[in-house]
Amino acid sequence: MRVRLQPEPAIRLRTRRARVCCALLALSFLSPLCQTQDKAAFTPYDVEAAYLYNFGKFAQWPSIADANSQPFSICMLGQDNFGKKLNDIVAGESIQGRRVVAIHLSSLEAADQCQIVFIGHSEDARLARDLEVLGKKPVLTVSSIPGFLERGGIIQFLIQNNRVRFAVNLPAARQAGVALSSELLKVAVSVTTTPPQEDKQ
Amino acid sequence: MTFSMRRRSIASMLTWMNLLASGIALMLVYVSFLGYNLYSLREAAIASLSGEAQIVGSNSISAIVFDDRSSAETTLSALSHSSDIVAAAIYTQGDLPFAQYPANGAISMERRPLESSGTLQHWTDGADILIASRIQFQGKPIGTVYVQAHLAGIRHQAIQYAVIAAGILLICLAVALLVGAFFRRLLAKPIVSLSTTARLVSRYRDYSLRFTPDRSYNELVSLTEAFNEMLAEIQRRDEALEQARAGLELRVEERTAELQAANRELEAFSYTVAHDLRSPLQSINNICFLIQQNEQVASSQDTAPMLTQLGLSVRTMSAMIDDLLDLSRSTSAPLESKQTDLSLLATSVLERLAMEQPERKVETIVARKCLVNADPGLMQVVVQNLLRNAWKFTGRTDHARIEFGCLQQGNGSVFFVRDNGAGFNQRFAEKLFKPFQRLHATSDFPGTGIGLATVERIIRRHGGEVWAEGEVDKGATFYFTLEPRESEESSRSSAA
Repeated sequence: MRVRLQPEPAIRLRTRRARVCCALLALSFLSPLCQTQDKAAFTPYDVEAAYLYNFGKFAQWPSIADANSQPFSICMLGQDNFGKKLNDIVAGESIQGRRVVAIHLSSLEAADQCQIVFIGHSEDARLARDLEVLGKKPVLTVSSIPGFLERGGIIQFLIQNNRVRFAVNLPAARQAGVALSSELLKVAVSVTTTPPQEDKQ
Repeated sequence: MTFSMRRRSIASMLTWMNLLASGIALMLVYVSFLGYNLYSLREAAIASLSGEAQIVGSNSISAIVFDDRSSAETTLSALSHSSDIVAAAIYTQGDLPFAQYPANGAISMERRPLESSGTLQHWTDGADILIASRIQFQGKPIGTVYVQAHLAGIRHQAIQYAVIAAGILLICLAVALLVGAFFRRLLAKPIVSLSTTARLVSRYRDYSLRFTPDRSYNELVSLTEAFNEMLAEIQRRDEALEQARAGLELRVEERTAELQAANRELEAFSYTVAHDLRSPLQSINNICFLIQQNEQVASSQDTAPMLTQLGLSVRTMSAMIDDLLDLSRSTSAPLESKQTDLSLLATSVLERLAMEQPERKVETIVARKCLVNADPGLMQVVVQNLLRNAWKFTGRTDHARIEFGCLQQGNGSVFFVRDNGAGFNQRFAEKLFKPFQRLHATSDFPGTGIGLATVERIIRRHGGEVWAEGEVDKGATFYFTLEPRESEESSRSSAA
């Protein structure tokens, strides 16, 4: 199922601020965020930042040697709108016993250390190449670029009923060697199960 | 069968006893079984509800983490398969509602936040149970599932048990009735026939009846034996008593006959003696008189006093014989009833006495018209004896006075003879009327001691009474009636 996304998801969710705040709270366990809920304006970017972190908890990566000494890296490729938020969220947290860090990638080559890569809108033009490189690594690719899944991405953010939702491309995840939890699939707006089309071959 | 405790048969009492005992036992079993069952049912319900809450909680983790209410509601709606669950809800860690089931329902019980340390808690309110289960994700609490259940099944279960217990009670009733009938044959029937025998015995006073039980039970046999022994003993005593009474009556009859015969013989004897003595005595008297007519003899200094003495003795003996004949006649002669004027009798007696002893000066008073219905001959004897007595005992009194009178008392008359002679000691009043008993020496006042006994017998034969009052040297009064005396008269007599 394809979902048409708005190009600029700058939708203010002020009316549902409290709910969003608490959802964020629940998913990110960040109490400072909630304490400032009345003053802070939660944007979809805030929610997406929290979701990025949470995806780590519902996915499995192939085991690597010396895994526990390596940090769990959530990387951003291209322009992102999270600002300092993601750093705040992951600070002091851990996933599967590994410290979580947020890294801004300067080049695609540096993505080897990443478990999750968020691809910003600025990468729209280079997306095919990016995905080709990343698709060969055990990396969970996430983006809000429209048509991301069709182009080989694994998780795509979208806005539905003023809320941040996401869709999953399961064959792409399988190809990357990332196992997604059924719990995650359960809350996904849609899960693509058909393999990539011929033109991708 | 009525439920009153009085006069109920042993069989029905046994039946009721059975019924009561089994009913109570069944009730106790029912209550304890129900109590235990309700308890374990509730525990089981709590355990299963807790499990369901935990499953729902863990299935809702991703929904909470990714803020997917519809997914959480789908998970909650799975609870619709559990019939006891009426409502469920998921609250976020900040205690804000996240999802609820059913969509239009809500938790009606008072919802309390979980204690910070606990992950699972329950509260109960009657048949309502509220379960709270904390949702944890990777060691951190992210929300709470609340599940409210109404254990309607528990009430159904209680009703089912009650129905089963009632059924068993009915069966017990039937069994108790059967057992009651069984005991009626075995135990109550012999007792009933024993009581029937007892009733027959007491109604017809037939102590020869015996009870034979058709079956033998220890207590019943000993009861029967005791009953029969008792009957035998009563019968024995009854017969002995009957024999003794018959013997006694026979003996009384014999004795009475003997006594009467002896009495008759005695009377005949004394009459014969007295009567037969009279003619020789008369001869002696006549011969004595003829001898006294002989001048030779009369002039003799030696024989004249002896002849006088002989004449006196003969007269005394004659008087005694007269008295004895009177006494004899007083009992044996047939009674005649005729109106008699005692006043006339008294007057004639007193005149005769005055003629016999003209030297004595005696004042006599006789009341007029003292009439009775009695035997005239015997009344003559009575009046004569009493007046003769009075005459005799006033012999040494100056200004002697004799009174005959009658008093009206109640319906009858009391007659009296009063004198102012020697009198007697009142203490011996009873002895006066016994034959041959005398209160005075014969030397002082001669007499046979028969006269008053004769009076007493005559009066008694007329159904009357006679009594005396007296004081030494002041005189005596003899009263008699010809019908039974009034009570105050008898009390006066006994007091004296």
